[in-house]
Amino acid sequence: MVSQKVTVTNPSGIHARPASNLCKVAGSCRCDVFLVVGDKKVQAKSVLNLMAAAIKTGTEVVVECDGEGEEEALKKVVEAIESGLGE
Amino acid sequence: MERVTVEKTASRGIAVAPVYLYLEPDLTPETGSIAAQDREAEIGRFLAAKEAVVKELETLAETNEIFAAHLEIAGDFMLQDGVEGKINGDLKNAQQATGETIDEFAAIFEAMDDAYMKERAADIKDIGKRLMAALKGVKRPDLGGLTRPVVVVARDMYPSDTVKIDPSLVKGILTEEGGVTSHVSIIAKSMGIPTLVGVKGILSKVEDGQTVCMDAAEGVIITDPDEAAVKEYEDKLAAYESERARLESLRSTPAVTKDGKRIYLCANVGNVQDIQNALPMNIDGVGLFRSEFLYMQNTHFPTEEEQFAVYKEAAQLASQELTIRTLDIGGDKELSYYEFEKEENPFLGWRAIRISLDMKDMFKDQLRAILRASAFGHVRIMFPMIISMEELLDAKAVVEECKAELRAEGKAFDEKIEVGMMIETPASVMLADEFAKEADFFSIGTNDLTQYILAVDRGNKKIANKYDYFSPAVLRAIGHVIAAGHKEGIKVGMCGEMAGDQKAVEILLDLGLDEFSMSAGSIDYVREQILNRD
Repeated sequence: MVSQKVTVTNPSGIHARPASNLCKVAGSCRCDVFLVVGDKKVQAKSVLNLMAAAIKTGTEVVVECDGEGEEEALKKVVEAIESGLGE
Repeated sequence: MERVTVEKTASRGIAVAPVYLYLEPDLTPETGSIAAQDREAEIGRFLAAKEAVVKELETLAETNEIFAAHLEIAGDFMLQDGVEGKINGDLKNAQQATGETIDEFAAIFEAMDDAYMKERAADIKDIGKRLMAALKGVKRPDLGGLTRPVVVVARDMYPSDTVKIDPSLVKGILTEEGGVTSHVSIIAKSMGIPTLVGVKGILSKVEDGQTVCMDAAEGVIITDPDEAAVKEYEDKLAAYESERARLESLRSTPAVTKDGKRIYLCANVGNVQDIQNALPMNIDGVGLFRSEFLYMQNTHFPTEEEQFAVYKEAAQLASQELTIRTLDIGGDKELSYYEFEKEENPFLGWRAIRISLDMKDMFKDQLRAILRASAFGHVRIMFPMIISMEELLDAKAVVEECKAELRAEGKAFDEKIEVGMMIETPASVMLADEFAKEADFFSIGTNDLTQYILAVDRGNKKIANKYDYFSPAVLRAIGHVIAAGHKEGIKVGMCGEMAGDQKAVEILLDLGLDEFSMSAGSIDYVREQILNRD
C-alpha cells in the first residue's frame, strides 16, 4: 500500500461535479483507492461515498492506493486533486 | 360540479381540458424474507432492474445534464454493494433490499447541513423510484407520452417530471402540495402554463379524463363542470388569449407617453434565464440584476471568474443596459455556507452594503467581475442599503481600487461605468440631494423603502393592511427623490413591486419617474398604461 497527503484546493471541495471527476479518475485505477479524512476512510470509486463525506476546500486528505499499479494510481489521483478536479 | 378556490396563484392563465392524473403507482416494496437458495435469483432481479434504469437514464441524459448525475448514482457500486449485502446477509428480497439501501443513502444526504447536498437526497429517492418500478414491473406515468391537451393534476412535481412537460399539450397544472415558490411554480411561470399549487383535496375531487376548468389568476377551479360552465370558461379563455395577443402587439411600440416622454421599461432578474424570458417583451434592459442568487444558490462565495462568466453572458444578452446590484444578503436572505450571527432585528442589521464593506476581499471579487463584464455591454453598478455619504464614497473608492488593479493587469473594462445606488432607506431619501451629486443614477426600492418609512414589517400578516406604497409618506419620499435626482441631471428609476403595479403607473409618471423595472410578467401591462397616459 502507498499513500500521500494532499490538500483539497478547488473552491467547492469534493462535492457534486468535482466528486464525480475524482470518482472517474479513481475508477480508472485497477487498485483500491481510499481517501482518509480524520478518522473516516472513504471509497474513492463511489461517488455516493465521496459526496457523503462532504470534504470541504482546504481539508488535508490522505490518498491510499492498494493493489495492482498502486504507485501509478496514487500519482494520478493526487494530481487530479491538486489540479482542482476540473473546477 | 364543484367550485374550488385557492388563495395564491403560481402562474396565471385560463385552461379548460381533460384531467391527466399524474400519480405514482404503489411503489411500496413487498416484504418477506427469501430462502438462502434464492439469493442469486434476487440479486439477478436487482441487476436486471438496475440495467433497465441505467438504459432509461442514458436516454434522458443525452438531452439533460441533471440525468447524467442520476446515471452516475444509479451505476454506483456502493448502491449495488448495499443491496447485495442485504440480500446475501439478511435474506431480504430484492425490492426490500433496494428500498432500504436507497433510504439509507438518502438519509445520509438529508442529514448534511449543506442545502445543495440535502437536495441530492431527492435525486437518490428519484432513482429509488425508478429502480422500484422496474423491480415491480409497473409503469410510472409519463408526461412525455401525452398526445392530447390536458390539465395535469398531481401531488407535487419534481424536476424529473417537469422536464418532460410540453407546453403545447399541458394546458394547466394543479398540485395538491407545494408553494408558489416551489420548483413547479417557477417552471410553469417560465413556460406560461396556468398553475395553482397547494390545492388541498384536489386529487380526490377529480377523475382521470374528466374535464376541469381553471382560472389561475382568480384562483378558481371548477371540477366536473356542466355545459354552461365549460362554455363560460372557453369564452374566458378566448377573451384572455385575445387580450394577450393585443398586449403582445404593443411590444414593438417604444414606451413613450402621449406628451412625448420616453420611459424605459426594464426587467428585474435573478439569473440569465430570467433575461432570456424577458427579451421577447422588448425590454430596454435590466434595471435590477439580483446578484444575491449567485451567492445563495452556491456552495461557497462565488469566485471572480465564476461571477464574471455569468455577468458577461448577462451583459451580452441585456445589451442596452444591465444594472447589477451588488450583494444584498442579510435581512431575510441567508447563505448555506456562511454562519450569520443571530440578530434581534435582521432588517436593521448587518446586511447588504454593510457586509460588502466589512468583507472587502469578497466585495472586490464581485466588483472586479462586474467591471470585467462591462467590456461586453452597458453595465451599471448599483449599491444597496446606502445610508450615508461615507458609505457611498467608501464603496466608490473600492470600485476605483479595482479599476486600478484591472488597468495594471491589462484587463478590459468600461472606464466610464456608471455607479449608482438604491434608494430604500429613509436616510437615503433625506440625503437624496447630496447623493445625487455623487451617484450616477438612483433606483428606488419600494419594498424596503415602504417598510422602513412606515415602520411596518412587510412579512407581518397582522399589519399587512398598513403596508401600502400609496401612503402619502411614501409617495412624498418618491417625489422628493425624483426631484433631487433630476436637479443634478441623473436618471431615477424604480425596481420595487410598485413599478410593476398598473395602478401606480399614472402617479409615478406624474412624479417624473424615468425607468420602471419589474418582473417580466408585468411589463406588457405597464407598457399599455404608459402608452395610454395623457
